[in-house]
Amino acid sequence: MLKIILPTIMLLPTALLSPQKFLWTNTTSHSLLIAFVSLQWLTPTYYPHNNLTQWTGIDQISSPLLVLSCWLLPLMIMASQNHLQHEPQTRKRIFILSLIMVQPFIMLAFSTTELMLFYISFEATLIPTLILITRWGNQPERLSAGIYLLFYTLISSLPLLITILHMHTQTGTLYLPTLELIHPTSTNSWTNTLSSLALLTAFMVKAPLYGLHLWLPKAHVEAPIAGSMLLAALLLKLGGYGIMRITLLTNPLSNNLHYPFLTLALWGALMTSSICLRQTDLKSLIAYSSVSHMGLVIAAGMIQTHWSFSGAMILMISHGLTSSMLFCLANTNYERTHSRTLLLTRGLQPLLPLMSTWWLLANLTNMALPPTTNLMAELSIMIALFNWSTFTIILTGLATLLTASYTLYMLLTTQRGTLPTHITSIQNSNTREHLLMTLHIIPLLLLILKPQLISGTFS
Amino acid sequence: METTLLLNTSMLLTLMIILTPILLPLLSKSFKNSPALITKTVKTAFLTSLAPMTIFMHSNAESIISHWEWKFIMNFKIPISLKMDQYSMMFFPIALFVTWSILQFATWYMASEPYVTKFFSYLLMFLIAMLTLTIANNMFLLFIGWEGVGIMSFLLIGWWQGRAEANTAALQAVLYNRIGDIGLILSMAWLASTTNTWEIQQTFSTTQTPTLPLLGLILAATGKSAQFGLHPWLPAAMEGPTPVSALLHSSTMVVAGIFLLIRTHPMLTNNQTALTTCLCLGALSTLFAATCALTQNDIKKIIAFSTSSQLGLMMVTIGLNLPQLAFLHISTHAFFKAMLFLCSGSIIHNLNGEQDIRKMGGLQKMLPTTTSCLTIGNLALMGTPFLAGFYSKDLIIENLNISYLNTWALTLTLLATSFTATYTLRMTLMVQTGFTRMTALTPVNENNKTITNPITRLALGSITAGLLITSYIPPTKTPPMTMPTLTKTAAIIVTILGILLALELSNTTHTLTQPKQNTIMNFSSTLGYFNPLTHRLSSTNLLYSGQKLASHLIDLSWYKKMGPEGLADLQTMASKTSTTLHTGLIKTYLSSFALSILIIILST
Repeated sequence: MLKIILPTIMLLPTALLSPQKFLWTNTTSHSLLIAFVSLQWLTPTYYPHNNLTQWTGIDQISSPLLVLSCWLLPLMIMASQNHLQHEPQTRKRIFILSLIMVQPFIMLAFSTTELMLFYISFEATLIPTLILITRWGNQPERLSAGIYLLFYTLISSLPLLITILHMHTQTGTLYLPTLELIHPTSTNSWTNTLSSLALLTAFMVKAPLYGLHLWLPKAHVEAPIAGSMLLAALLLKLGGYGIMRITLLTNPLSNNLHYPFLTLALWGALMTSSICLRQTDLKSLIAYSSVSHMGLVIAAGMIQTHWSFSGAMILMISHGLTSSMLFCLANTNYERTHSRTLLLTRGLQPLLPLMSTWWLLANLTNMALPPTTNLMAELSIMIALFNWSTFTIILTGLATLLTASYTLYMLLTTQRGTLPTHITSIQNSNTREHLLMTLHIIPLLLLILKPQLISGTFS
Repeated sequence: METTLLLNTSMLLTLMIILTPILLPLLSKSFKNSPALITKTVKTAFLTSLAPMTIFMHSNAESIISHWEWKFIMNFKIPISLKMDQYSMMFFPIALFVTWSILQFATWYMASEPYVTKFFSYLLMFLIAMLTLTIANNMFLLFIGWEGVGIMSFLLIGWWQGRAEANTAALQAVLYNRIGDIGLILSMAWLASTTNTWEIQQTFSTTQTPTLPLLGLILAATGKSAQFGLHPWLPAAMEGPTPVSALLHSSTMVVAGIFLLIRTHPMLTNNQTALTTCLCLGALSTLFAATCALTQNDIKKIIAFSTSSQLGLMMVTIGLNLPQLAFLHISTHAFFKAMLFLCSGSIIHNLNGEQDIRKMGGLQKMLPTTTSCLTIGNLALMGTPFLAGFYSKDLIIENLNISYLNTWALTLTLLATSFTATYTLRMTLMVQTGFTRMTALTPVNENNKTITNPITRLALGSITAGLLITSYIPPTKTPPMTMPTLTKTAAIIVTILGILLALELSNTTHTLTQPKQNTIMNFSSTLGYFNPLTHRLSSTNLLYSGQKLASHLIDLSWYKKMGPEGLADLQTMASKTSTTLHTGLIKTYLSSFALSILIIILST
């Protein structure tokens, strides 16, 4: 564990002390190296935990997410190069610094076995994210986006803190494997229902559940590209991860606790998809599509079967890569046309043909085309839900239909059709951008061949 | 043992040959694809695929091979298993033969296209997806092929991506197919949760399948094969280039839905509700499509509606519990439908992109090969004795006549059969006979090997395919042997009636009167008011509710007011109320503070 966390922390002095010329090179290559070393966590094992230390342990649920977070750091650094081009050197360093700051906290959150440490690192990720959004966003609205992000998360996580403390006084331990055996909230009383609710809500906001999602589109729209990638690929997954961990603790959930969540998640998938159909803002569209996909993850987390957990795990990983790629693509358009409005960035296929291929691939994975891992995930979640109640197939089926509609709407509007006259002369796409897209799509394609790596069950 | 080995190897060899133009450019830089190369590859694959077919005919050996498996859920294995049986063995050579001809034709038709190699690769991928679907023995693998044809059709229909109509048509194709996919996913979910396997042959073990998953399969077939209700994408798909329409309508994509039902037929066979649904749905679609075809003036639209009508007939056959016959109709239909499209492509290209049959006429003199093949295709479509269509169509109608079925379906199908004769003859007469009605000075020329070869080859197929296939493939169910003369000749009689009708109609059109607008005519020419009704209403409602309900009312009003803005307002109100109490009277505050402290100290 420390083998990875220490080099990640050492990235901070690297960013500060690297000579000006090698700033990007050093940080990117160093973080890529870390990402490659982190791949060892994916090796299957028969033990419940892979690297068990006193306060961390990597099991099958956390290892794919850990590898994903290590993988995304170099990509985030790479994606931010262009919009920082004209900034002074110190600002570049500070930007990279704040990007790197999130990383150890996320890794601690994903790997810790102690609930309190999980809470602390979960909350600690908020600060660098807030800095990213409110300092590096493009428009004045970024401040309100920051406030939304901060308050939605804080309001829901204070009850979490209280419940954790309460749990500690009740059981005397916050060690997760022990807690799973005790089932601290399994008896049916008001205290336990409320504490389960408090435990879940914090992650529901982070995931986000429909109804508690307002901060997400705002934050995504205002954040710089690295912030959007971070939010979409990692922080939302923190919510999903938390739900999966907590539902294991509170097993089994009482009906009046999981019905509202399931209903909201599935209904929300429909509602957010139909919002996507009317979206004029490209980044907001992708953000709402994240809400819709995470709705499926939440629903799967509530069902608590093997099928649904596998589905949720695969969906989190593949959605992390897909939505991050979509944000990168949206950003390449934004950097050229300086507009996120869909109507203004149309018909780019003749101008940026290779980009158009990336758009096609990203959109096809987003709409879960077989045999991508997104399909495997959605299919297993839909089957788990179908097994739970037959009627959910109406909701999930409609959601896939709407997903296809808005994804293709996005593809057709940005790539197809005639080119408007105001964007006929834009700069070419460059190798860095293509590399960025390649590094997103390659894991997605390779995972098709061995999805059990990320399914949470090394069978 | 040896036979099976030979069968499997030659089949896999065929698959590998087809994959080479896709895989080799990835492996080596020096390898360059070209249209001619892809055409040759498909030709080689066709010749190779004849071997397993012959072996199969000789030995009747079936086999299943499974390779490496997916295992993303504990205890649920998804192997890549391929099934070599009658359907896949027969379908491979047919599809490859038809595609070979279409590709050869496309080298001429798409010659001026800048990205012609990409176009050919797309066509090839389209074919590969379809072949995957037919050979798959696993629902997941089948689903890959299923969605593969869907997405490739999206790319191909929207090939001329600058045109808004092409994009809309492509989008329609995907969305209608997605509605069907919900059905397929439903059945897959049911299979996974009850039988715990997606291997097709293992799913048949359950004795009586409930209606719900079967309805899911039927919905899937309805979407893919453009049955009534989900049909509008098929005529709209005519926006794509003609080779695409030819491939889409003959051997790939649209027959996939019927093929799914043929594959999963053992599940359907005991469920009368599902069979009746198939029958009625098929009859309705065949009549509806035939009615729409009667008044169309676009040559490609007429052929498209005839496909739709034939697909309905195949669905009827599934409803009659005769999957093998439906497959036979798929096979014979592939030949003449591909040829009809190639002929229309030749005509359209020669007339500088003119598709309206009212502006053709007299082409018999100018394009002799094309038009004679068009006639052969039309005759085969009508079910003229001893051409390809006859062997399947006539059998279907005979079976329909003698089965215990509802008269409604029978009447609709017979009516549609006579309509088939009417619209095909109308097209033949308008295109080929009479005076020329096109603009002068169009350079009409069909003396090119890449036009005549594929068309004549397919014509040969349309003449002989029915005879060849029926004589080599023994039917699994005994066909009806004896029946009254009237029943036996019913198909031919209604066809002749249709022909007479068309001749009468063509006489009246020569008198050059404006056709009167009446309800029936309008119903047919506006495609049954289906498109304005469903497309307008559903999309307006969805988009309207998306904006007003989901976005404005809930997200931007309720959630915002109840959450962040409501809280902020509450704070502002509280602070405003308390501000009025603090007006800066320091002396008063201090004295009241001191007083209260004094009182407290004194009182304690």
